[in-house]
Amino acid sequence: MITVENLRKSYGELQILKGISTQISHQEVVVLIGPSGSGKSTFLRCLNGLEKTTNGKIEIAGMELTNPETNIHDLRQHVGMCFQQFNLFKHLTIMENITIGPMKVLKKSKAESEQIARELLKKVGLQNKEQDYPDQLSGGQQQRVAIARALAMKPKVMLFDEPTSALNPEMVGEVLNVMSDLAHEGMTMVIVTHEMGFAREVGDRVLFLDDGYLVEEGTPVEIFERPKEERTKNFLAKVL
Amino acid sequence: MQVVLENLPQILEGLKFTVYYSIVAIILAVIFGLIAALMKLSKSSVLSGFASVYIEVFRSTPLLVQLFFIVFGLTGLLPLNEWFGQRSYPIIAATITLALHEGAYISEIIRAGIQGVDRGQKEAAASIGMTEFLTMRYIVLPQAFKRMIPPLVNQSAQTIKDTSLLAPIGIIDLVYRGQIVIATTFEPFAIWLTIGLIYFILIFSVSQFAGYLERRLQLDNR
Repeated sequence: MITVENLRKSYGELQILKGISTQISHQEVVVLIGPSGSGKSTFLRCLNGLEKTTNGKIEIAGMELTNPETNIHDLRQHVGMCFQQFNLFKHLTIMENITIGPMKVLKKSKAESEQIARELLKKVGLQNKEQDYPDQLSGGQQQRVAIARALAMKPKVMLFDEPTSALNPEMVGEVLNVMSDLAHEGMTMVIVTHEMGFAREVGDRVLFLDDGYLVEEGTPVEIFERPKEERTKNFLAKVL
Repeated sequence: MQVVLENLPQILEGLKFTVYYSIVAIILAVIFGLIAALMKLSKSSVLSGFASVYIEVFRSTPLLVQLFFIVFGLTGLLPLNEWFGQRSYPIIAATITLALHEGAYISEIIRAGIQGVDRGQKEAAASIGMTEFLTMRYIVLPQAFKRMIPPLVNQSAQTIKDTSLLAPIGIIDLVYRGQIVIATTFEPFAIWLTIGLIYFILIFSVSQFAGYLERRLQLDNR
């Protein structure tokens, strides 16, 4: 589903990603962990072209993202994303937030888009919030709407950039539950998170990034219980 | 007092033109300003260069000079009076010049409004596959517009003031009518006072309205 070959990214002299290669298969749930500044979020943002890659090759859902001839807007329709700060459209209702993509990008009718939105709102447990504005919702609710907004495009892959980092502790669970459900339905997911318990439970594979390198990867059991690399051990000792 | 009342219909006839020119100029200025702002923010250095030249030229020269140059100066170069008509060219040219002048300021208001929209909003729009055009049209501009309303209303008040500079180039407005009334009545004090009062009422109401909108938008901060 996703192939990344020797991905490099720098801002001027500063190298953020120093040659990362990995493959993510259909329906796989991959969790990225690592200290802040390790390049996890940058890596994720490269996967839908929000960051331009400096070097290397990325292929997603049969499209080569790093080929300048690829239409990035077409590609992004297949790659959903949730942000740390939710980034719901502030001037639109919850319903409009979800229907704007299907209507304006996929050119679906209003009725059909609203039908999709209602089903998704039910799925994330917010069917009574259609006419509210984002600032009337709690952080956890906003993030669930953001997930619904991304799903309305029927993506093949979902990217999550620290989806629970900006939430109050009591709201983390509701978002993680929605994500677990999604994983169990077979969605291909790439998740940057600090929630180690969640990584362990839901992840099929864990990638440990440090200083722009992919230091170690493996199943949650391999990474959390038998880490091979010294840097992985140090990091886990601090966060677990 | 008597002289003011007798000549009030004449003066109000001038006010009608002032309001008319103001409205047309503001509408055109918002269009020019939006185009210039989008050009200035575009990736093309040619477009943004053009916009910068326009904005700087119109902000760094006096409106009165701009009016004289475009209404009278340009006719020395091109037979504009023949093309547009002896009577209508000055009116059309003066209105457009006024709009270009205000548009230069408005483009900076619009640009600041667009740049003030949170980057996360654009990224979210991009992440669901929206093109730059769709993002601008449905996400950025509606949000930018809300914060632009109070400064735009203030610029409209400024535009009403600036229409008084149409009188020196011979276009009938409140000031021009007033001067005619003074020439027949020899009552400069009363007439100028009246004209000043009319401008004050007009512009003060507009700027009060801007203040009201600002407070409303702060309460309703979406």
